[in-house]
Amino acid sequence: MITLSYRILGGDFDSAGLATRKLKEQLAKIGVGAPVMRRAMIASYEAEMNVVIHARTGTLWARLDEEKLDLEVTDEGPGIPDVQLALREGWSTASSQARQMGFGAGLGLPNIRKNSDLFDIETRVGRGTRIRSTILLGTRDDGGASPPVPAFLSLDHGRCRACLRCIFACPTAALRVHRSLPVMLNELCVGCTACTAECADGVFGIGDPDTGRAAVTRGFGAALPPVPPDAVLVLPRGFLAGFPLEGSPARVLAALQETGFADIRLVEEWEQALRREARARAASGKGALPLIPPFCPAVVALVESRFPSLIPHLGPWLSPLEAAGEEFPLRPVFLVAACGAQYSAACRTSLTDRLTVLSPARLAGALLPGLARKPAAAPTASAGTGGEPAPGPGELAVTGVRHVMRVLSEAEAGALGGATLLDLSLCDGGCAGSPLLCADPFISMHRWQAAPIGAAPSDAAAVPRQKPYAQRHGVRLDKDMGEAIRRLARIDALARTLPGRDCGACGAPSCATFAEDVVMGRSEADGCPHLPEHGEETQ
Amino acid sequence: MKVKELAELIDARLHLGTCSGDSEISQVHASDTMSDLIEHAAADTLLLTTLNNNQLIRVAELMDVPGICLVSGADPLPELLARACAARTAILVSPTGMEETCRLLEAHSGSLKVTRT
Repeated sequence: MITLSYRILGGDFDSAGLATRKLKEQLAKIGVGAPVMRRAMIASYEAEMNVVIHARTGTLWARLDEEKLDLEVTDEGPGIPDVQLALREGWSTASSQARQMGFGAGLGLPNIRKNSDLFDIETRVGRGTRIRSTILLGTRDDGGASPPVPAFLSLDHGRCRACLRCIFACPTAALRVHRSLPVMLNELCVGCTACTAECADGVFGIGDPDTGRAAVTRGFGAALPPVPPDAVLVLPRGFLAGFPLEGSPARVLAALQETGFADIRLVEEWEQALRREARARAASGKGALPLIPPFCPAVVALVESRFPSLIPHLGPWLSPLEAAGEEFPLRPVFLVAACGAQYSAACRTSLTDRLTVLSPARLAGALLPGLARKPAAAPTASAGTGGEPAPGPGELAVTGVRHVMRVLSEAEAGALGGATLLDLSLCDGGCAGSPLLCADPFISMHRWQAAPIGAAPSDAAAVPRQKPYAQRHGVRLDKDMGEAIRRLARIDALARTLPGRDCGACGAPSCATFAEDVVMGRSEADGCPHLPEHGEETQ
Repeated sequence: MKVKELAELIDARLHLGTCSGDSEISQVHASDTMSDLIEHAAADTLLLTTLNNNQLIRVAELMDVPGICLVSGADPLPELLARACAARTAILVSPTGMEETCRLLEAHSGSLKVTRT
């Protein structure tokens, strides 16, 4: 059983209904089915409005167990002199202000009764009223099968010094440090590499989405597989400009050509093709605006898990690296993923062995011999890209986890003004800022601009997405609603006993996440060193 | 029928805010009382009303209503539009009164169910 409570202010028509809205958010969290939600919202809203219209103050209580939702609204107000009369449709004592707003039609109490399985009202004139409405749960909405959980990152436990910086850096609270070892909650991870950027010890690498095993750590990794004669290599510009070598990035390209790739293409070509397509769609006003094109697969994962109401805003195309993989149907293609999210996305697309997905470190390892020699003449790529296009009108280009989180929150609240297109990337400075590439994005951009590689016109195109986007249920406490309710209650109770310092000593980024970990069996209850039984006074 | 098609049908001004206007509407319910509106509100229902206040948006938010249609060319309050935007609810403004708007909807659309209380 869990009990939730919300205050209601009499006469405050501005925030009227807010308590019911907050209740809705909690009920959605535990997966209450649509029919129950509908009845609960009507009963709760009507009871809340009763307080706003007639009383000085009140409280909405919601008690949930596996079988039923009990709503109780108590108020300090005038009470109801004749309850039987009040339950008759059309009878009301509402003020003219309330009537002008469409209330006071005498339908509130009948509406609550109609939507309740059990209904009860107690009132004392001059003291107040208590309305109780019970709704039997019966149906449950499991939201359909969750998409498979991608394992974006691998962890090299031996390198961890338990400095705790990663747990505070993670925007989705997916990391813990338990017994001095990092633990990744894969269902919460969006592959943004914020942890990788924060970690000075090289704990994080790219994970294999199928096996969860490390595809490569930050070392040079396994040798390249044999390169067939007509193979295409697609890589980010940040890779070519990522080496502090004289004659770079041309020198890196020359070394790559020595490894036997027939064509070397930049993923930025598909990024620009996607941008063109997205701009045309945003300008046409078709679909939900602002449009969020899938430039960054980590942003897509973040929307699917933390901002599901923005899923309709995601553009219906593959990410640039995935699109590049589709471009050459008859040739072997090697894709270089700049981050864990790209790696996972590209691996999911590659159903045949025609595609090989590489981490930057693995490709760099194969280049070392070629890089040692200075090239005789400057080579050119098969195709290239110009500079970064300036954002057009209505476009908002944002990079970096914290900024993107804020922008998505604003977008969710509809507070982004006239923005029609959001160009979002979770790494600082865009994909070139991935910590899995060697250089700082500003330095690699500087290198590229100082000695750009000649560009031929690109034939890259945006590729429509076949598989629809789907909400990830990483945050749901249990698929069974009864169990989810019990857990939410236990988390709430435990969180109240914790000091709220969010110090990280337990290995979780906050007291609230620690409480959740204990209840979900991810952590021991005695993990908090500040609880009284550990000999320290809580404040 | 999509929200934006419905708007065209009754020649309504459409304030989409952050909505696409592509939500499917299969019912329209017309009423001037909040209790009636919330009782008939649903994710496929357009609410039609002479009311013009922020509580309309609260009802839309709680019941996932895709659109609210004001009548008689009413000017929606700026705060109502802002809240509608946040709630992802489209606001339509029909140039005609409630009766006439209902009549137009009933006359032009075969599949749309129009109810009034």
